[in-house]
Amino acid sequence: MEDIIKTKSLWKDFSRELFTSQSKSVVDILKKIPLLSDLSRRELKIISKFAYERTYEINEFIFEAGQPGAAMFIIKEGEVKIVKKNDANEFIEIAVFQNGDILGELALLDSSPRSAGALVSKPTRAIAIFREDLNNLLKTHPDIGGKIMMHLAIITGQRLKTTTTHVMQMENEINKLKGLLNDKQ
Amino acid sequence: MINNDRLNRSRIFYFSLFLFLAIVLGYLLIVLQNLILPIFMGILAAYISLPGINYLKRKGIPKSAAIIILLGVLSFVVFVIGQKVVSAIPNEKENLELRIQLQYKLDENFLAFLGKEDYSSEGNIIDNLVGDELYQIFQSVTSFLALNEMEVTEFQNYIDSSLVSERILFFYVENLKHPILPAPKLEDATSTKNTSSDNSNFKANSKIALFLNAVSTWIILPFIFIFILVDEGEIKSFFLGIIPNRYFEMAFATFANVDKAIGNYLRGTLLQSSLVGLTIFLGLLFIGFKIQAALLIGIIAGISNAIPFLGPIIGLGTGILYAMIVEGIDPILPFLPDNAVLGVLIVVSLAQFLDNAVFQPLVLGKAVNLHPLVVVIGVTGGSIIAGFWGMLLAIPTIVIFKVVISTVYRQAKAYYIIY
Repeated sequence: MEDIIKTKSLWKDFSRELFTSQSKSVVDILKKIPLLSDLSRRELKIISKFAYERTYEINEFIFEAGQPGAAMFIIKEGEVKIVKKNDANEFIEIAVFQNGDILGELALLDSSPRSAGALVSKPTRAIAIFREDLNNLLKTHPDIGGKIMMHLAIITGQRLKTTTTHVMQMENEINKLKGLLNDKQ
Repeated sequence: MINNDRLNRSRIFYFSLFLFLAIVLGYLLIVLQNLILPIFMGILAAYISLPGINYLKRKGIPKSAAIIILLGVLSFVVFVIGQKVVSAIPNEKENLELRIQLQYKLDENFLAFLGKEDYSSEGNIIDNLVGDELYQIFQSVTSFLALNEMEVTEFQNYIDSSLVSERILFFYVENLKHPILPAPKLEDATSTKNTSSDNSNFKANSKIALFLNAVSTWIILPFIFIFILVDEGEIKSFFLGIIPNRYFEMAFATFANVDKAIGNYLRGTLLQSSLVGLTIFLGLLFIGFKIQAALLIGIIAGISNAIPFLGPIIGLGTGILYAMIVEGIDPILPFLPDNAVLGVLIVVSLAQFLDNAVFQPLVLGKAVNLHPLVVVIGVTGGSIIAGFWGMLLAIPTIVIFKVVISTVYRQAKAYYIIY
């Protein structure tokens, strides 16, 4: 009798481990992302149901420039370079993303073409979250969807501010250079 | 070099796996072809019900409870409508009476159309011009209604047991005055080889066998329905999981687009057919049809409305056939015609007008354009492959193929898979 109970308990532990460990680890990863940091574990568990984990080899593209964006990717482990081709048709590295970073999050808003490609530079495991699933989430769980969209708007706003600052700095630099050129002439 | 070897091995492996799966799938499709329709219908039913589940979820009801509520409501509706429909379906004796009555009424209307009092008298101009040809066509139509030898014996038994009303007896005697040869039926050939007692056993056995067969194959429908509704995306995850990284994003986008287009089309078609069925049901009630008959004709007209071109004709035909045997209808409103055939014509025309002017524009999601020629060939081909069900499901199947192929093509181009 005791044996049976032990076996049952063992099986219970095993099955629980088998079926919850994956979603648990996905939830842990999702929790660390600023975009989803406001969400409770219960809410993150709902999102983990449509979080697709993928494994990529070195030199594989997660997505390419010009392709319509459909998903945002979260790097679970590994390294991804954001690259863009120059006039000589060579890839230029723009940024490097590592564990816990997110890339292609603007695809959650619309399907406009990706501005750059994501090239894997170390064996990578990434989690994909698709726009269509987020749209469905907005219908079924508007509270969760609303929080994500709010964060997405904040992140986009912050990036716009940073870009505006960069543009202003560049304009200043150009004006300075123009001034120097005029002085020399 | 090593990479090339690995690439070649991978290609051989995937090709062999694909070939093996294709052969297994092909074999299963042939062997289990009886299950295709119930599975297809189960998927369709679940697909159509999904927005209902989502609606309940939005209202804060857990998914499991939402599924139970939906199943409860569906079972209740099917039970109530089923009861009404079953009570409207004639039994063996009523079936014979209906055919006798219909044969008499058709005969009467045919003679009136030709302006004759009986077959020996002179008719109108139509009779003079094409009377003989029309008679040939009429004979071939009514031959399907005429009783065969066994049915005549059966009906004689009912007459001997005084179970037949005088009115039906009158029709029966009148029909005998100008007999029509019954259309040859397969069961006649079988029945002549058996004695009467053996025959009744055979019929009972075959009915039980048919019933059991139907139950064993259709029992899968509710399971498919429930499992698809319960699914939390596992089916989609599985298929996306086996897709290579290069096609992953494209596959998801394709799946989402196809899902949306087909879902809108199917739900649109269901809504449109339901509205047409409801209009005909209410219209027939207004012109004085019994509730069971109006419901049965409404359901037939609603379901067949999903068949382009032919659907409205099936609905109209069913209504007119019933109108020809029904005697003395009593319209609810005084200005409505008391001629049942005219009433059915008005109701079906009104339903078709509303369908074109109101229902179709309302159901925007149904906008999947098919060339009329494709529709005609599809419906005809469907009827050859699987009879009425084939005719009904031909257009949704073609639409599904069209949406899948066009979406895959579009996405493959957008994701630089093809030029």
